[in-house]
Amino acid sequence: MSASPPPETPATPKPGLWQPELDELRLREAHARRMGGEAKVRRQHDAGRLTVRERIGKLADPGSFHEVGAIAGKAEYDAQGRLLELTPSNCVWGRATLDGRRVVLVGDDFTVRGGSADATIREKPLMAERMAHEFRMPIVRVIEGSGGGGSVKTIETTGRANLPGGVGGTGLFHYTTLNLSAVPVVGLGLGSVAGLGAARLASTHYSVMTKSSAMFVAGPPVVSRLGAPVTKEELGGWETQCKAGAVDHAVDTEEEAFECARRFLSYLPSSVHEVSPVLPCEDDPGRRDEALMNAIPRERRRVYQMRPIIERVVDKGSFFEMGKMFGRSLITGLARLDGRAVAVMASDPFFYGGSWTADTCQKVVRFIDLAETFHLPVVYLMDCPGFMVGLEAERSATIRHGVRAMAAMNQATIPWCTIVIRNAFGVAGAAHQPAGRLSLRYAWLSARWGSLPLEGGIEAAYRAELDAAEDPAAKLAEIEDRLNLLRSPFRTAETFWVEEIIDPRETRPLLCDFARMADPLRQPTPSRLQMRP
Amino acid sequence: MAEITVVAELTSAVWKIEAGPGARVSEGDAIIILESMKMEIPVLSPADGTITAILVAEGDQIAEGQAVARIET
Repeated sequence: MSASPPPETPATPKPGLWQPELDELRLREAHARRMGGEAKVRRQHDAGRLTVRERIGKLADPGSFHEVGAIAGKAEYDAQGRLLELTPSNCVWGRATLDGRRVVLVGDDFTVRGGSADATIREKPLMAERMAHEFRMPIVRVIEGSGGGGSVKTIETTGRANLPGGVGGTGLFHYTTLNLSAVPVVGLGLGSVAGLGAARLASTHYSVMTKSSAMFVAGPPVVSRLGAPVTKEELGGWETQCKAGAVDHAVDTEEEAFECARRFLSYLPSSVHEVSPVLPCEDDPGRRDEALMNAIPRERRRVYQMRPIIERVVDKGSFFEMGKMFGRSLITGLARLDGRAVAVMASDPFFYGGSWTADTCQKVVRFIDLAETFHLPVVYLMDCPGFMVGLEAERSATIRHGVRAMAAMNQATIPWCTIVIRNAFGVAGAAHQPAGRLSLRYAWLSARWGSLPLEGGIEAAYRAELDAAEDPAAKLAEIEDRLNLLRSPFRTAETFWVEEIIDPRETRPLLCDFARMADPLRQPTPSRLQMRP
Repeated sequence: MAEITVVAELTSAVWKIEAGPGARVSEGDAIIILESMKMEIPVLSPADGTITAILVAEGDQIAEGQAVARIET
């Protein structure tokens, strides 16, 4: 069904041979457009939310939505078999263009039974996923309610209980998994999202929710039966879910969520069988930013803001951060260098000095997998004093998550460039480029490194010498001075243990050069990696 | 006039209190300096205002999300 012409207007001025059938088609389409009825639509609007059709209208390029299966639903007939009423299924899907690029859009209609299973036709969302996969198009899921998932009501309407994933019931999960390794998948959570809806939102490359929305495995009515009552916001509000890393980003309005989806997709190819388009670049690739010379404090204990540094080196205005509230000692996002899309990782010393926590490591795995899947070169602006240490860190299995992050890095085949901004210490210090192939690496003048930091490291390595000293504190200071003289990065460069130390103002020209060098290496060949959410 | 509770973004130790009750602060000013992984990490004021309370003391071990100060804007 196309967005126009409206059903009241005959498609042809003169009645044709098949006019009665055409009239019936238009009538049924008109029923579908009414969704769950006037009262339910009003309730949706009163709650400050758009209907699924309004959402698709705003997300897609104007007039570009071509719907599939609009008239599928539940019909009522009179005694003569004439159509009285048609309640559409609560899944609206089709193809459209987004900024000129063809995508699949699939949305839940909350006005029809809250989007839940008893008003769903299972094959509709399934076909949407299949079309994205088989025609190699990005898919955007506009999710509200239980996303076509279970409702206890179906026990009564079908007269039996559903075995989740029973006969014929696993097709959707087959495709939601497959699509992560095939096409960009975006999820927008707009309203209360639970159960299968939550799974469809989380099983994406990028997810956004509005701040008035909530996402949970099960909502407050179920949860409060099991324990203390909890509000929707506490349980699944944006702060909970973005901090937990289950959703990547939160925005105030639905329109902003649509903008996020468009922006995210702009950096990616339409599928793994293509590479991202190179856009014209209006920012001088040779630009040297003077502020970079003073960006890092000389006092080693002082922190600094990393985000302005990212903004200064990538194409102006091109940085698009993802997952800002999760694993915050590392900033991740997409950007452009001389018009080429790249995946940027950058340490944030405001969080544990940039140390990798277990959360940060999980963020690294998912982000590198995204870059690998869509053939995006990686730029890493590194300031990492190591994996996080301490009891809390051990209890969260930091080292297991850490070696997983290193494995993701080492399995990746995408071009890689690291700028050592300041610290590179310990095992996490080694986790700054793939181990088995040549990558580009530059160290800023402020860079420093070691197997472990001197602080604490001296006490461990020089125990006997310190114990024997009359004044252990003075001895400690003496050893520290001695080692400090030796650990200048220039001594490391002298032995070619690091290949280049640079003036930080050269960073952008060098990164743009890297992006151009990466051109012949970006192949539209699907990665061996099978991505997981 | 609104009162804002400032929370610590990370598990850490309180190293230094930079501004006490009654002090005027601007958005982005350091109120408290925390210590974590041998780095000094400032807690920045989220808005312009006057500090009404400092809820921690130097040397305290604090948890992520713990309230550390209150500001009246």
